[in-house]
Amino acid sequence: MSTGLPGGWVAGFIHPFSGIDHLLAMISVGLWGAFLGRPSIYVLPVIFPAMMVVGAILGMFAVPLPPVEVGIAFSVLVLGGCIALAIKAPFWAACLVVAVFAIFHGDAHGKELPSAADPVGYSAGFVLATGLLHISGIALGLLNARPNGVVATRSLGCLIAIWGAWFLYQAIGI
Amino acid sequence: MRGGAAPPALLFAALGLALAFAPRSSWTPSLLALLAALVAFTFLPVPRVWLEGIFLGCWISVIATAGSVHLFRRLTPYAALTLSINAGVWASGVARLSGSRLDLIETLPCVLIFFPASWVMSRHGSIPVMVVASWVIAVAVLAGSLQLLPVTPGYLPDHLE
Repeated sequence: MSTGLPGGWVAGFIHPFSGIDHLLAMISVGLWGAFLGRPSIYVLPVIFPAMMVVGAILGMFAVPLPPVEVGIAFSVLVLGGCIALAIKAPFWAACLVVAVFAIFHGDAHGKELPSAADPVGYSAGFVLATGLLHISGIALGLLNARPNGVVATRSLGCLIAIWGAWFLYQAIGI
Repeated sequence: MRGGAAPPALLFAALGLALAFAPRSSWTPSLLALLAALVAFTFLPVPRVWLEGIFLGCWISVIATAGSVHLFRRLTPYAALTLSINAGVWASGVARLSGSRLDLIETLPCVLIFFPASWVMSRHGSIPVMVVASWVIAVAVLAGSLQLLPVTPGYLPDHLE
């Protein structure tokens, strides 16, 4: 007998797609990695789920964090801004930025995990969905190799950053 | 629900990813060792009170097996054999206490992920396989942490039931 949410794998898989803020941030991680090239292109999508797990554990154990919605909105703004401005951050700095933001995203997901009736399926679903969103971002980053591709991806980054600013405005409630 | 097919499936998938880093000559002995361990331990009686320990051992095994992909560039045949036997022991333990033998039969093909993984490695290098291994580790860490929570997880009946 279980008492939790009926959803397992499907609920976990849908969760990252259910919020446009999560979705944009995860695509941005892949896109920025593609901008930065090796090794960031493959290290950032490894660091993100790893640190997201840390955030999820903090969320599960109800460890207080700064306002998560603000952190997530800030992640969309900063990552979008990095793409828009084509910021070639040092490898360690890119890892640090992505790791910190991943904690906020993980916290949001992790808070739901204890109530899931099938936590393994839920975790597998949301980790896979996150990974696929990173790969989508990397695939979009392949546009950089085409004529005017950089302009297209930087414009996309600009749109993401504007969206992030809107999220931040809503989260702070100015 | 936390037993059933998911834990052995993840463990077999982690083993498959690790075997992709082992020499091809070690694949058959490793699969035979896995089958032997599964058959041997599936019929051993396991006390019910070991449930939490068996689950924790299973998640630690998933993390260690998938983690070997990140730690070692090449897996020695002995390491491949050890990981296979270890996977067989924990998968059969979980199936015995919180699933069925049918779950093991259904999830065993997950180990064959080493075929596509080694194909990917031969064409695109080891990075895509390492990324997938990190996802498997993430799921195992989350599932293992849930066991240590001071709250009633969703898969257990609460005080209202």
